[in-house]
Amino acid sequence: MEVTQNAAELCALLIDELYGELPSRIFAVLLSRGRSNLAQLAQYTSMNPRQLRHGLAVLIQYNLLFHQSDGGNTVYEANAAFAYNLIRTGKILEMVESSFGPVAKDVMQNLMISGQTRVSDLLAAYQIKIDRTKAAAEQDMDIEFPEFKLNGVNGNYHEVKKPDHQVKSTAQLNSIICRLVEAELIDVVHSKSFQSPDDIVKEAESQVVANYFPNGVKGGKGKAEYEQKVAEALRKIRSESKSLKRKLESNGAASKRRKLFAGIGQNGASNGTANGTANGSNGVNGANGANGAHEEEMDPALDPKQVIRINYEKCLVDLRNRRLVQFVCDTLGETTGYVYGVLLRILTKQLSRCQLDPRLDIAEDGNENQGPASVTSNELLDNMKTSIDLSLGIGKAAKNIISSRAAEKIRENPPKPKLFIEAAVDGDASADESESDDDESSDYDSDFEEQPAAPAANGSKVKFADGAAGKEQRMDRPMQLRQHLLLLSESHQHFLRHCGTNEWTVDFGPLLQIQREAELDAVIERTSGKDGLRLVRILRTNGKMDEKALQNIALMRKGELQQKMLEMQRAGFVQIQEVPRDNKADVKKSLFLWYVDLESSSTMMLETSYKSMVRCLQVLEVLRQKEKDVLMLTKRTDVKGREKDVMRKEYFDRYSRFQAHEKQLFAQVLRLDDLVALLRDF
Amino acid sequence: MAGDDDDNAKLQILKNALYDEARNHGSEERLFTQKDLIDLGVIPDSNLLLLVKVVQSLCDDRLLVGVSSGSGIAWRWRNREDAKKYTSLPNEETMMVYAVIDEAGADGIWNRTIKNKLNMHENLVKQCIKHLETKGYIASMKNVEHPNKKMYIKANLRPSDRATGGPWFTEGELDTAFIDQLKEIIFEYIKSKSAYLGSLPGQSANPALRPPRKGTIRGTAPSAPASDADAASARGTKRAATDISNDDSPAPARAPEGGGAPARRPPGKVYLPMPAGYRHYPTVPEIAQLIHDTGITNNTTLGEADIQQLVDVLRYDGLIEPIKVNGRRGYRVARPTKQDTVSFAKRQKDREAGIGLDLPMFGMEPPGNGLTEVPCGRCPVFELCEEGGPVSPANCVYFDQWLEI
Ligand code: SF4
Repeated sequence: MEVTQNAAELCALLIDELYGELPSRIFAVLLSRGRSNLAQLAQYTSMNPRQLRHGLAVLIQYNLLFHQSDGGNTVYEANAAFAYNLIRTGKILEMVESSFGPVAKDVMQNLMISGQTRVSDLLAAYQIKIDRTKAAAEQDMDIEFPEFKLNGVNGNYHEVKKPDHQVKSTAQLNSIICRLVEAELIDVVHSKSFQSPDDIVKEAESQVVANYFPNGVKGGKGKAEYEQKVAEALRKIRSESKSLKRKLESNGAASKRRKLFAGIGQNGASNGTANGTANGSNGVNGANGANGAHEEEMDPALDPKQVIRINYEKCLVDLRNRRLVQFVCDTLGETTGYVYGVLLRILTKQLSRCQLDPRLDIAEDGNENQGPASVTSNELLDNMKTSIDLSLGIGKAAKNIISSRAAEKIRENPPKPKLFIEAAVDGDASADESESDDDESSDYDSDFEEQPAAPAANGSKVKFADGAAGKEQRMDRPMQLRQHLLLLSESHQHFLRHCGTNEWTVDFGPLLQIQREAELDAVIERTSGKDGLRLVRILRTNGKMDEKALQNIALMRKGELQQKMLEMQRAGFVQIQEVPRDNKADVKKSLFLWYVDLESSSTMMLETSYKSMVRCLQVLEVLRQKEKDVLMLTKRTDVKGREKDVMRKEYFDRYSRFQAHEKQLFAQVLRLDDLVALLRDF
Repeated sequence: MAGDDDDNAKLQILKNALYDEARNHGSEERLFTQKDLIDLGVIPDSNLLLLVKVVQSLCDDRLLVGVSSGSGIAWRWRNREDAKKYTSLPNEETMMVYAVIDEAGADGIWNRTIKNKLNMHENLVKQCIKHLETKGYIASMKNVEHPNKKMYIKANLRPSDRATGGPWFTEGELDTAFIDQLKEIIFEYIKSKSAYLGSLPGQSANPALRPPRKGTIRGTAPSAPASDADAASARGTKRAATDISNDDSPAPARAPEGGGAPARRPPGKVYLPMPAGYRHYPTVPEIAQLIHDTGITNNTTLGEADIQQLVDVLRYDGLIEPIKVNGRRGYRVARPTKQDTVSFAKRQKDREAGIGLDLPMFGMEPPGNGLTEVPCGRCPVFELCEEGGPVSPANCVYFDQWLEI
């Protein structure tokens, strides 16, 4: 993550919000000064050693620092990406709850509160809780768990903890951790976890040189070999955090479980909530509800000395899935969105991160991180919840006005990147002003144009034959599902690619690019109106253009157009370029071309988002100052939890108004993070 | 002398004959080469000298116009009426000016260009133009491409599309009202022909109505049938995806104002996307036919190219998208489920009654995101704002408004 001034300010504010001012100040200094040792920090912050050590300990506990010692000298470096991730705590918890059930959420939440943790510590903490709950149940008294400080940032987690939502036994806890490790949402801390990525690369490089190229790297071949060796070494380091997952897999418990619960294992998610309560007593998550106890025994006890932490990279993959599902819901409807969600979940199960590292991940056959290339129709069908009515969400049409040949078209290759940009707005129309008739796949490799579609796939032919002409065909469930898949494949946004008979895949790169454009469009439309949006999209489709040409396409008055363009230039949505007509470069004769640069617009939008988030948090601080007396009051132990009864009405009103504002502001920060995630991390 | 008269009479006959034959063989546009004229068979013995004489004389009478073309000189004929105008002019200069304007045809010509072409003094050109104007031979005109230039055109010509700006201009001004009206009709047509009007299962598809966060299973009241044709009787036991919205994976609920939800929608109706491979998405020729049938363009003729232009604008507006099925290029509405389902007629009526004037003319409310909602995203002093500065979060009025403080 590139740390601009706004981003730095935001990270510091977040740390302040969660862990207090001391760590925040140290973090801010580390961001602005770069890596520093203790002596330097003391100088920059004018803190005493005790304060410093305390602050650093907090930061290290929560994985917010890289540190490295050689000899007695330790240098510290800020881990901005992790600091930023603090914002996402609530979203991640919500995601875990919906995928693994409330108990898993509780575990995840505790892991967040405690930072990186030894398994034994977590077990011990839970043991106390379990005992207390038992005791409380017997005595029927209220108990208070330490409140999660992230309350505000993360929406309301004040909920009363229902007994069903709590860990019942350490065996259950063990099992939940195993589950989360298998899903890669939790990984292990290892020797290199606290080294900054740059250091890791440097170290790997020098080791490769020392081991394989003592005489230096020479020639093109040598260089290629060198790079390959470095990539290997880096991959090895990276995979260390997955050691526990591999161990679990080799232990066989996971595969046994898969066999037992083939299909449903995946969406333990859904069932977790749908029927989780019913069998919550022994259910880790709904999927294995009935067999929960049995299953816990299958999981190996984890090494108590193992240190675990939350793996944000993988969390982002899941958050991205949710985001894309939202996108489909908005574009095509919710039933199709549901189908897409299931598909993404299967497709990304083995995908460790959203963005591949060009250095490590390119051209790596059999890379464990790539995940399956596609999902089959049957896999999908097996994972659809039976309660969903797949007949909904798509219009009805007589079979004689549907071309199954066009709908079923198979595209073996992803869209070409260049043409794709035009396709974003123009679909197949981009290259076809020549109006040839067979270019429906113009943005795909032409090799496959002749590929006959497979109309008989999945027996669709037969199904079509069922309905009498002129009537809608009655469809069975596989066919209903297929309708949604075909709809997604035909979509303008290329949500899905029908990459082989009954096989489906998603080209994330191009798809996210389109989504980024869509978000940019939303901002442009709100700030510069429909006219502004139109002009930008014309430029995006057609490339550079002078004002005249623009005017002809946009059908706008000259004056209005000029004004709009200047306005958008100031806002950074469009750029202008001078093209001299002759080498004298007479400005009066020059041609002026307008163009759009998605890259720079995105960067700008990202900065604006950071800054807006900072402002939200600052406004909140201002409000806190304003309501200081009220807030002090609510901190008193005799008031806390009984605010409404104890406080004077006037005070309570002020308090609840403040809470509403706080909620609104935090919600807005989260909304802004949606944008940041899309622009930067997905 | 008598021989001269004779010759003259003979010449006159040949002239008439040649002129008439030429008119028989082509329009005023056609260029006749020397060979073409000989081949008309009017000049006896294909006598070139005689032809030259006859042609020269016709040129003097302005009935033929010499044009130098790529392969030497050629001629086209001019009708007698126009020719008479020339000969009625008082002097050579006026004739030359008239000729230049004539030449420019329907595009018209700028008075400065006339001056430069003829290398005449400005006053003289002005005089000539004045004379021609009072005679009613030429008229001044407006050219949309150069609204400030004084242009002239032959009085009996209609200015070309290039000069008037085509059908979208009325008296040199872009007629945005006309354009918007047509766009609305086209959009409505595409919307209704490219999506399926179905019933909403319950009310929950509207994200604005969904409770924020924490989706629970909504009451599973059996939803209304999705369509008349849809006879799925299993509905009672099955739930739409919308009902379980959040318990699985989809849809972290959005902040209420970000929904981009349709502004007007009669309860229970929603547009659904057509199945993949649908072959009847409206095409430009179909739309052109529709526009023609409505008759709203009574005094303007709109070709398919013109309609294409409007369709493209709608596309750039993000309201529709092109879709090609088996080589047939059609258009469909974007984000169908977010479109309002109020009928065109009702909306017109509402608008006349002053209802919904603040809503977009057509299409849906633009979608929102974090940046469009937060005050800073629309803040006029965003660049200046900093903590401790004259504009700062501490004294921000926009946030106060937003939080309703
Ligand atoms: S003045 Fe208010 S709205 Fe504008 S940038 Fe500052 S905090 Fe945001």
